Amino acid sequence: MTPSQGGVLSRRSRAQLAALLKVQAKLSIREPYALGLGIGLPAILLVVFGVISKKAAGNVAGSGLTVIDLYVPTVIVISFISIATSLPTTLVRDREIGWLRRISTTPVHPSRLLAVQLIVDLALAAAAIVIVIAGGTAIFGAPLNVNILFFILSLALAIAEIFALGLLTVALAPSQTAATAIRGLVFFALLFLSGLWIQPVQAGAPLRDIMWYSPGGAAARAILYAVFHQAPPVTTLLTLAGYTLVFGFAAVRYFRWE
Amino acid sequence: MRAPKDNTALPRVQRVVDNPRDRRGQQPAVRITNLVKRYGSFVAVDGVSFSIDEGEIFGIIGPNGAGKTTTVECISGLRDPDSGSISVYGLSPQRDRDRIRDLVGVQLQVSALPPRLKVGEALELFAAFYAKPLDPQEVLESLAIKHIERAAFKNLSGGQKQRVSIALALVGNPKIAILDELTTGLDPEARRDTWALIERMRNRGVTVILVTHFMDEAETLCDRVALINKGRVRALDTPEAIAAEAGTTRLRFVPSRPLADQALFAVDGVQVVERKDRFVTVTGTGDLAASLISALAASGVQVSELEATRGNLDDAFIRLTKDTPPAASEGVQP
Repeated sequence: MTPSQGGVLSRRSRAQLAALLKVQAKLSIREPYALGLGIGLPAILLVVFGVISKKAAGNVAGSGLTVIDLYVPTVIVISFISIATSLPTTLVRDREIGWLRRISTTPVHPSRLLAVQLIVDLALAAAAIVIVIAGGTAIFGAPLNVNILFFILSLALAIAEIFALGLLTVALAPSQTAATAIRGLVFFALLFLSGLWIQPVQAGAPLRDIMWYSPGGAAARAILYAVFHQAPPVTTLLTLAGYTLVFGFAAVRYFRWE
Repeated sequence: MRAPKDNTALPRVQRVVDNPRDRRGQQPAVRITNLVKRYGSFVAVDGVSFSIDEGEIFGIIGPNGAGKTTTVECISGLRDPDSGSISVYGLSPQRDRDRIRDLVGVQLQVSALPPRLKVGEALELFAAFYAKPLDPQEVLESLAIKHIERAAFKNLSGGQKQRVSIALALVGNPKIAILDELTTGLDPEARRDTWALIERMRNRGVTVILVTHFMDEAETLCDRVALINKGRVRALDTPEAIAAEAGTTRLRFVPSRPLADQALFAVDGVQVVERKDRFVTVTGTGDLAASLISALAASGVQVSELEATRGNLDDAFIRLTKDTPPAASEGVQP
């Protein structure tokens, strides 16, 4: 991922990256794990919770927030989780079939392919954010009042943390079969912890704290504060930063190209 | 990074079969000296040395686990040797990684493309990776796979996948192409087509390093062959010379009058005698034809319809890989 000369990408590097970007984008459309789950699932969930919210709006567990208010951050985080957990599906496969190794015989290091895949996935995540925020406010009337600074900080930390976890599963999964198993486990655990089935405010004391300090729950909590124009608790931001560092270092430490 | 010397420009390459040593004045495309590579306590490559001339089809043959793939992986810079030196057009695969990758096209033994990637897209992608690529369309046409340009990799037949793999190794316009177990799993017709492609590749001036365990492939294609066993070079010569050195010849002929087996076995070097209809076939070592004809002539028998077949590389391979001196393998296998 480091440019070969100075800090500026040479013309050749740019041409190489552009070609890779084109191919990875096309493959992401043809193998729409990230697209389907990262955009499709949040869109469906948004409609489900939006409709629930319209029927039984009001004060969830004394939080002063409606169902759709609480679920906008959760659905955004679920989008990140879906995209990040689709990383092993393609990257472990590309490693197992020798594609990454094949790339490494060319003048382009396979880390470029990974970087480009992350760019494609970031674009998907951005699209998901726009869809969920716009849908949540415009269609289902969540009275969001975004604090742009904390919103960006929370989203950046949430994406970094969850993508780092996705890359860690890529690093650790020894095979496609293992990747599928790990992916399923991580996916549903994070979905739960992000509040899909029960929101932390509805949960009892130990579970609520577990959720708040889990990778998914902390991300949802930070975004929840930011969309209601408040500073997220420092402990939540530190939790996110801590997970990002741990997952990130472990992913780098154990990553294999072949 | 060092600039490559000027003599890397490709000369018009003519076919060199008989004596590659005639090209001694020229810098070799690849020179390997005392290459050693260990995996833990297992010595995969144990002091391999050879050089490959520009424009050669150079075969690396040997049994499974002999160190063939490791050797070519060191040439392409995929692995770093533990000791010894490798020079590819004067460059080091380890120090000059980027330059080497522009010069060397690789077809890997075990490698597939993402299943939904289309053939044309893969070629365009790889062309974008290299400094002076060939036109992907021309490569597709020259390999007769233009018609599958829009097919996804997962829908290709084994032969088509191999062609795509060769195309990817060529589209970067390499000076050297490393082809590892290229025809494994192909049907006989696809194999012969692939051989023709390799010949054509060389005719364009590309030096080809062919790793194979098919002796007929090495005999048909290779100008010279290194036979590697247990990490060491056992033989390094033309396939013909290696086969000849292992020493069997097969002669089929019609004698001018019936001959007893005994008379044939009396001829120097004859080991096996077979008969079919009028034909007698003898197999043996040494200068078999000369000694047979002169011995039979001495007893007044003429030989007609004489047909000589060399004992093939296969025989040599078996002899050279079985006759491993114990010292060579000591402590090598885990």
